[in-house]
Amino acid sequence: MKRIYLHPMLVRVCHWINAFSFLVLILTGIQIRYRDVIQVTSFRTAVDIHNIFGFVLLFNFIIWIIYYVVSGKFRTYIPPFSFKGFIAGCIRQARYYGYGIFMGEENPHHSTPDSKFNPMQQIAYLNIMALFIPVQIVTGILLWDVKGFAYWIGLAGGIKVVDSVHVLLYLFFTSFLFVHVYLATLGHTAGEHIKAMFTGYEEVPEHGHSH
Amino acid sequence: MFRFNDEVVVADGMCQDLSVDKGSKAESKALGGDRLSTFQKIRTAGIFVLGPLSGLLFICLLPLMSLLIVVTLLSKMASASDVMQSEEAAMCMGCHANQDVVKTFGNKEKLSVRISERHFKDSVHGFLTCTSCHSTVSMDNHPSANYASRRAFAVQISTACKGCHTDEQLMAKPMHRAAISRSNAPPCSDCHGSHSIRKSAGWKEVASTSQYCLTCHKKDLSLSVNGETLSLTIDEKTLRGSVHGSHECSNCHSEYSKTAHPLREFKNKRELSIAFSGVCKGCHTDKYQQHQGSIHTSLLTQGNRKAPVCTDCHGAHAVGPKLLAETLSGTPCRKCHESTFEAYKNSVHGQAKMSGNSQAPICSSCHSAHQVGPALASRSPKATCFGCHEDAAALHKEWLPNADLHLDAIACTACHVPEAEHTVYLRVTDNRSGASINKATLKEYLGPGYDDLTSAKENGLDEKHLWDVYQQLGDKNSAAGLTGTLGLQDCNKSHNLASKKWAVKQCDSCHDANSKFFKTVAMAIIAPDGHEEHYAVNRAVLGSVITLLPINQFYAIGSTRLRFLDILGVLMVFGGMSVPIVHLTLRFLTIPIREAKRLNKLRKEGRR
Repeated sequence: MKRIYLHPMLVRVCHWINAFSFLVLILTGIQIRYRDVIQVTSFRTAVDIHNIFGFVLLFNFIIWIIYYVVSGKFRTYIPPFSFKGFIAGCIRQARYYGYGIFMGEENPHHSTPDSKFNPMQQIAYLNIMALFIPVQIVTGILLWDVKGFAYWIGLAGGIKVVDSVHVLLYLFFTSFLFVHVYLATLGHTAGEHIKAMFTGYEEVPEHGHSH
Repeated sequence: MFRFNDEVVVADGMCQDLSVDKGSKAESKALGGDRLSTFQKIRTAGIFVLGPLSGLLFICLLPLMSLLIVVTLLSKMASASDVMQSEEAAMCMGCHANQDVVKTFGNKEKLSVRISERHFKDSVHGFLTCTSCHSTVSMDNHPSANYASRRAFAVQISTACKGCHTDEQLMAKPMHRAAISRSNAPPCSDCHGSHSIRKSAGWKEVASTSQYCLTCHKKDLSLSVNGETLSLTIDEKTLRGSVHGSHECSNCHSEYSKTAHPLREFKNKRELSIAFSGVCKGCHTDKYQQHQGSIHTSLLTQGNRKAPVCTDCHGAHAVGPKLLAETLSGTPCRKCHESTFEAYKNSVHGQAKMSGNSQAPICSSCHSAHQVGPALASRSPKATCFGCHEDAAALHKEWLPNADLHLDAIACTACHVPEAEHTVYLRVTDNRSGASINKATLKEYLGPGYDDLTSAKENGLDEKHLWDVYQQLGDKNSAAGLTGTLGLQDCNKSHNLASKKWAVKQCDSCHDANSKFFKTVAMAIIAPDGHEEHYAVNRAVLGSVITLLPINQFYAIGSTRLRFLDILGVLMVFGGMSVPIVHLTLRFLTIPIREAKRLNKLRKEGRR
């Protein structure tokens, strides 16, 4: 076994702030949208908390993206130029999750500080971090002050469209959260990846294991 | 000639002949002394000169003297006739000069039958004798007639007038023709009086027009208009006390004067009121023009003759000052809008007004006084309420997130009349100005589609109809779209505004799919007069994907959410949850495979 420093301090802090904000936003989102199903807090409280953590997420995202762009680590999200190789990598990774893992095969991807993600993670997180979260933040800001951003909302197709996009991404993040957490348990041991997100270090076999 | 003098009637009722002039006797007594001696000198000195001259004069003057004698005799005969009439009148006045002579009618009404000689003498009929009119009475006969009422008496007695004033003569004057051709024609005495009828020519010149008109119109006059009774009586005191108190009748009734009284015919009283209200325009041009642009004038032109004209609110002759209408009891709108007024009366506005707050609004504060129209409370809340509540926006911002948005999309009444039922109104508006597109323009945009939109539907307009409207508006490049606003179902209830402590403040009241605020939806189309025509819309449109674009502006988080996203959300979340469950299950089920592989591997390594 060897220990590799996979997650720098700033990334870990950002991750957990992000994680907590996501949880709060999902739960308050339920309270805002589905009051006829469940009522834990008042609408007003839910909206206030949702707004606060929306901005927490925004500032966290800004710090994260500045760090990733300035440090050049953002490259880890960019799939290789070779489309063919990328597709082959995806198929290989999908085969592992859908077959190899059950057969006791090794994960074809080995995480390193410069290459944390397998091809499937790359495309998923690139979309999430570079598209879905920014869109979610922008639509959230528009909904936060509908009157103030009336012009932009109008350009986007109206408040109903903006909110529908926000909710659609909200549903995606909620459902993806289950997958994300589950995949985090597919390390060398069930808690390995999670522990690494606290300590920064991940213990991997000499040949390495990753989800 | 028959004459009454002050001294004519003596205590015993006999008439003195005043042909003997007392003044002349007194003058005769004054002749004496110097004047008498002068006459004697002339007789002595000039007897020879004057004798033949007198004889000549006598011969010449004989025919003249004869003529004088004839004239004098004729005069004496006439005087004898005077004496005869005077006797008759004196006999009548023997009783009728007495103040205590009273006639009692069948209905117990009493009438003093005292005659004022002076008034009669000065009257236009001063040359007549009593029996000229009272033909059934003579010096020998005074029949006692029983009349049911004073009115019946007056009617009967007035028939005597026709003895001299023939129908033909009376019909020549339009006013008389109008009066006497009615079945309930007033007796002559109603307008002209009885024994003191004055010659009109004289006082007509000095009387003002109003005085002249009121001669008749202050009396109990009425007119039957197609079975309806129209009172023509003007209470002079009320008229003088009105804001028009100093005006002459002809200022408003310009076709009428001391010399003209045209007959105008109307289908009914209402038509008369509507026609006469036009006279106000002469002075109150600005107010009249404002009224022309009101919903009331629009209703009138559409054939609703009940719609109010000037006099309905201000009265006809009792036109009061403006402030009169600013009291609860005097609000003229109440006459037609009783239920609305009741709602207002119980409102925070009505209560404030009743408690003496002069700043509290009345009907015209929101609907305007003359250019009366809908208060627009459900269309542009700020326009009406913010006129007085200038700080309302700032106050809402203190506690309401997205306050401006709420104030734009929700009528003030929606929250401030908490007990009322709500409706989401969809209006076609100009995207640039936000103004409502009226019916005529909408018809132009939609063509035949308009009729489809407004025809009755069992479940109201559905999302397909709204999509068609959206597309047709787009095709016409109209820059128009549908705007949704939350308002009250019953506009009457909008007036029952509650104190702000009862207003809806809980977000949960609206932002809940079970909210009662979004149970009904209606399409609102602005008619030319400004009022709205409402067409039911199926409330499902609020949560339909098809109307995502047509009504993309109206959206209440939580309550008008898309049903499609609800279904998709359930699928996505359960899909996300199923990944670990299924994967874990498969991993669990494949443990033997991996175990076998591991053992195989160990075995291989052991062999090595």
